[in-house]
Amino acid sequence: MGKWTRRAFIGAGVAAGGALVVGIAVRPGNPIDRLSPLVAKGEGEKLINAWVKIDADNIVTAIVPHVEMGQGIFTSLAQMLADELDADWSKVRILEAPADAKYSSSHIGREFLAPNLEVPEILEPTVSGSFLSLATAMTLQITGGSFSIRGTGQRAMRTAGAAAREMLVAAAAKEWNVPAGELRTENSMILHDKSSKSATFANFAAAAAEQSLPAKPKLKSPKDYKLMGKAIARTDIPEKSNGSAIFGIDADLPGMKYAAVKAAPVVGATIEAIDAAAAKTMPGVLQILNMGDFVAVVADGYWQAEQALATVQATYSKTEGDELDQDALFTRYATMLDEAGETDGDVETEEGDVGKAFASAATKVEAEYKVPFLAHATMEPMNCTAWVRDGKCDVWSGTQSPLMARKAAAETTGIDIDNVAYHNAYLGGGFGRRSEMDVIIMSTRIAMATKYPVKMIWSREEDTMQDHYRPSATSRFQGGLDKDGKAVSWSNIHTHLFDPQEAPTVPYYNIANHKIRKIDVPTHLRFGPWRSVDHSQHGYFIESFVDEMAHAAGKDGYAFRRELLAGSPRHLKVLDTAAKMSGWDNPLPEGHGRGIAFVPSFGTIVAEVAEVDMTGKKPKVTKVYVAADPGFAVNPDGFAAQMESSVAYGLTAALYGEISVKDGAVQQSNFHDYPILRINEMPDVVVEIINGDHKRLGGAGEPGLPPLAPAVTNAIFAATGNRVRELPLSKVNFA
Amino acid sequence: MRAVLRASAPILVIALAACGTDPAPEPTEQIIVREPGAATVPVVEAEDSLLAVGKAAFNTCIACHGIEKGGANKVGPNLYGIIGQAAGAAEGFSYSEALASSGITWTKEELDSYIANPAAKVPGTTMMAGAITDAGRREAIIAYIDAVSAN
Repeated sequence: MGKWTRRAFIGAGVAAGGALVVGIAVRPGNPIDRLSPLVAKGEGEKLINAWVKIDADNIVTAIVPHVEMGQGIFTSLAQMLADELDADWSKVRILEAPADAKYSSSHIGREFLAPNLEVPEILEPTVSGSFLSLATAMTLQITGGSFSIRGTGQRAMRTAGAAAREMLVAAAAKEWNVPAGELRTENSMILHDKSSKSATFANFAAAAAEQSLPAKPKLKSPKDYKLMGKAIARTDIPEKSNGSAIFGIDADLPGMKYAAVKAAPVVGATIEAIDAAAAKTMPGVLQILNMGDFVAVVADGYWQAEQALATVQATYSKTEGDELDQDALFTRYATMLDEAGETDGDVETEEGDVGKAFASAATKVEAEYKVPFLAHATMEPMNCTAWVRDGKCDVWSGTQSPLMARKAAAETTGIDIDNVAYHNAYLGGGFGRRSEMDVIIMSTRIAMATKYPVKMIWSREEDTMQDHYRPSATSRFQGGLDKDGKAVSWSNIHTHLFDPQEAPTVPYYNIANHKIRKIDVPTHLRFGPWRSVDHSQHGYFIESFVDEMAHAAGKDGYAFRRELLAGSPRHLKVLDTAAKMSGWDNPLPEGHGRGIAFVPSFGTIVAEVAEVDMTGKKPKVTKVYVAADPGFAVNPDGFAAQMESSVAYGLTAALYGEISVKDGAVQQSNFHDYPILRINEMPDVVVEIINGDHKRLGGAGEPGLPPLAPAVTNAIFAATGNRVRELPLSKVNFA
Repeated sequence: MRAVLRASAPILVIALAACGTDPAPEPTEQIIVREPGAATVPVVEAEDSLLAVGKAAFNTCIACHGIEKGGANKVGPNLYGIIGQAAGAAEGFSYSEALASSGITWTKEELDSYIANPAAKVPGTTMMAGAITDAGRREAIIAYIDAVSAN
């Protein structure tokens, strides 16, 4: 573990009533009394700072600074803390940290995250001005980037648990007058075998706080893990199965009213005028608001609000975006790529001399790929409830960024952040959509106008048409092979780069000459992070082209990639595992094909093999084999579930996902024209986890997605000879 | 090329809304129809609500009787302008002998008693359905027919 500096230490204290509270401290002397009312449950309980508290009944509460959106991290993060603490899992509770800056600090990030994660540098502002680092994400209490476990879990949760354990042991050693080394901990108990003494953690909680803080709490090695590495049942599943789980959309307050909204269909347009004559007479209607960029109708009930909103006629300002349609968009990409030629564009990475290598290559391969905008289609539509009155503001929603939401509400209302409270709930799907603040801000603005609590719910149409999309993109490749069919050059120019910066790069493939460039093509549509972000398109682009090069080399996709990964045993093992799982060399029936794809992302290496049945009118993906190395899977069942769900989300996009534009507005509106995978279309998914490096964890939420589309399209090629270079597959006539 | 493990995320640009912006502007237009707790049904004049009820109630009749000016007959005759007309006068409609020779002039009172029980008022009429027992409803329907016919 990394060095601890003076600024980094563990703070601890005792709550009245004897509950020990331990956490990763903020700066010395930083007052955190304000946190007490937010997390202290017991009367008179005082919180010092906390990621863990132990109360008089020997209940351990893990305070988790991340959100639960179905990815299971509430449970996994608590698992990590409880394991280091040697807590009795049956007596562990989980509490979501309140949206408070004191739960995060850039100091924590900088001190703690760099060494263990082997991040050579923490990125400060990038060229685009966005701040892409674990430190900042932690600072702003964001959940995303597939890093809750590998970041906060590995650093904060484990450390807090280990530190608390050491302090408890030190307290018991002092009381019992025995060397600390003779004590052991198990199931929330401290035991001295020599004298057969034992006591609960609760017994020593108060005394533990008096102990000096361990400078370097010792973290367990995998052989001692009791909870980590186990498929512990998720604590949120029972309530999600019986309907008692509270999501943002379930917010309920006395006197709460409902708002339906419609923003200008073309992004950037404003509402010039509204005709609300009919809406005024409709049942339940309270207010009709023209907010400039959207219209809101507030009513006693949501359906009443929607019905009335449908009758409001709005006229919009003209914008440049009005002209845009789907064809023009891709034409614009093509033109700009043409203009960039061989030399222009921003170089992301370059090695060797691709020009020369390609020119002298024995075999030259060229291809262009395209992908459309994609919507998030979270099952729970966008919603937010807000109440602004008497210089106070309360907001309820499900967001990936609780602290950002609180700040956004404060900025919008102009109310001091101390008087703004943000209440988070489970998210019915995040995928990056719920890290945006637009919904929070809109809801707050409505509440400012009404002064009574209002729950704003977006219709599915609004949700689909006003998303922050995964951007559309075009990518062009030139690859050179020598006479032995070995890759000697790789040249790629593509539109758009957002995040992660390394998504278009292939450092793990052994290709001597490579050059990757990007060009920026602005469009008026809003874009934002979508599960696996830029890896979602580059995984498809890269792994399709690798397959085309393999084919040109007369080799199969697996064999060709083996050569490219020859210098990376850890990567190779993942590829080999996927091939083995799928029975790569076994013959398939006529009309069936197998495709393989390999994408390391978010710290996890993933290879997937898809089996596709092309005998029908459209592709049917029957099986997907996923081999993944996340360093160490803290909760293997949770990890496998994330691979499976990435397959579902990725397959939906590959088969059907297309947001298209006409006259500047999005054409799709609901699941009839933006279909998602149905249950009968879900393939069998087999997951094998390789724990390749327990010190360097990778993420789970996203890495399973990028290889899926190319595995499927590569399988289609194997079965039919038909190379799909444009998604979604629903556009292709396979008859 | 060495792999730089960057930690990045579905995080959007932190530059976002949260940096020193002014509070949100007032709505461009705010129409307050009513405050919560106020009567949910807007108070309208009695006449207006009678017409509204009448229009809704006429849905019972509309299967057989059109009401637009110059509209076609259906199973029953078009009723535009019926108030004040002689019974059996709608052009092109094949009335029953009983109604055609009844000698009734359709005042509101006559219409009212007919709609209440057509077969009782005019035995042999072919208006087999549509009797309306509720006096208030009949009043509303007749008021509606009257209002429509005034245009």
